[in-house]
Amino acid sequence: MAPLRAITPGVSMWTILAINSVTFGGLLFLLSAGFSLIFGLMRVPNLTHGSMFMLGGYIGSTAIVTWHLPFWLAAALAAAAVAVFGGVVERLLLRRLAGSVLAQVLVTLGIAFMVSDFCLMVWGGDPISIDTPSALSGGTRTLGVYFPTYRIAIILIAVVIAALLWALLERTRLGAMIRAGVDDPEMARVVGIRVSRLFTVVFCLGAALAGFGGIMGAPILSVYPGLDFAMLPLALVVVILGGTGSLIGSLVGSIVIGFIYNFGLVLLPQLAYFILFLPMVVVLVLRPQGLFGRAAP
Amino acid sequence: MANEALALSGIDAYYGDSHVLHDVTWSLGEARLLGLLGRNGAGKTTCMNVTMGVARPRRGAVTLFGQNIAGRAPEDIAARGIALVPQGRRVFRSLSVHENLLVAARKPEAGGKHAPWGFQTVYAAFPRLKERRHHLAGHLSGGEQQMLAIGRALMANPRVLLMDEPSEGLAPRIVAEVMATIRRLKEQGLSIVLVEQNAKLVFDIADDIVILNSGQVAVAGTAAGLRDSGIDLHQYLGIY
Repeated sequence: MAPLRAITPGVSMWTILAINSVTFGGLLFLLSAGFSLIFGLMRVPNLTHGSMFMLGGYIGSTAIVTWHLPFWLAAALAAAAVAVFGGVVERLLLRRLAGSVLAQVLVTLGIAFMVSDFCLMVWGGDPISIDTPSALSGGTRTLGVYFPTYRIAIILIAVVIAALLWALLERTRLGAMIRAGVDDPEMARVVGIRVSRLFTVVFCLGAALAGFGGIMGAPILSVYPGLDFAMLPLALVVVILGGTGSLIGSLVGSIVIGFIYNFGLVLLPQLAYFILFLPMVVVLVLRPQGLFGRAAP
Repeated sequence: MANEALALSGIDAYYGDSHVLHDVTWSLGEARLLGLLGRNGAGKTTCMNVTMGVARPRRGAVTLFGQNIAGRAPEDIAARGIALVPQGRRVFRSLSVHENLLVAARKPEAGGKHAPWGFQTVYAAFPRLKERRHHLAGHLSGGEQQMLAIGRALMANPRVLLMDEPSEGLAPRIVAEVMATIRRLKEQGLSIVLVEQNAKLVFDIADDIVILNSGQVAVAGTAAGLRDSGIDLHQYLGIY
């Protein structure tokens, strides 16, 4: 994953690794922000989140390769399609399992397996690679370091989305209503807040972000069977590290995991997964609520 | 008696297998204040929950300005112009004071009688809330939280206001303040149900009284009539 491009002579491998790490962190943020919101706000451990990432990648790639849509239109389409998928899952299934974590885990895991099979059936077993959008291809050389434009763009997009999400939750009436619905769902309904509709909105938003992450990642990671279960544990690690329901936790956790994952793959490939999960174990032992999470009430 | 604002008729309600309201009937006149009294567990809060749609009655009707609202969802009932100041205040603790008011805000119905409630009017009525508007509601004192719970209910510009034990757990000075607020709201034409354990507080302010005992209406009448009737109310109310 995140393969090193040819190392230009004179450019430090470390710089490239660092850029790749932050880029991968940006993708992880798109993936895990929704996971963190859905888990932090609605207490639903959504194990279809990796599937949503992969679905976004497949749908977006098809839109680009087969339907010849421009990249950004395809990305919007992928995000919207995955949001609809998320909404259907939430409304038809998860809604009926409110409060039962075990049932939610089993159902979402089951759906994840179904999506895996479905994708294998529709898109086959070969990886699908797409080009970076032409406006963002190439790169710039500054101070002897080569910055690939697309990777920098991913980082910027992740930061902008983090800021927008924060503003939505903390600075709008809608965000306050969502938080009120988390605080005391029954009282929120009594003051007239349509809590169940808001939770569907949150779920769709998280799904859309994951789908968007999938297509944004496609030029770098490509889309292939198994991408879903490659990404899901990363989302879990990020959210455990950063703390559930905390956007800043997701952002910092994503970048930390981006670094650990990329450097681990290059420096200690045999131990990459061990190194990946080590910080999670340490955090779980020392600070179970995560680096930025609030202590459980 | 003026027009009916809210009426419960023939309400039977259960929590699981336990029958908590037996054929309960009472009504609140428009612009009047009804005191709903009774011991702990008499069914007062259940009446509130049934009215707001939080609990479903098994039988009976709840009518708000002539429309049956029994069995509807709380958010639909709230939209019809009724608001609750719940027992235990239940402010949204992780929201700021301002956000607590914001999420409950609702435009008044056209042709309302008094000036509509909004941030300005609520903050004018409760200056302490204005001072603390950026604080988290969970960090307020009990009295301030009660003010906030009342302010939050008013932000919806309700025509009927239900108040469930607003004096509970407050210092006497704060209770007096809360009661003065309720009196003001009543003077502005709001129809109010005041649930209390403290009968003395209620008789001072209510037009009508309903006393519940073991889930049934034991006594109903005007406050003045009951005061003069010489009925021994203490048997229904515990010791005060």
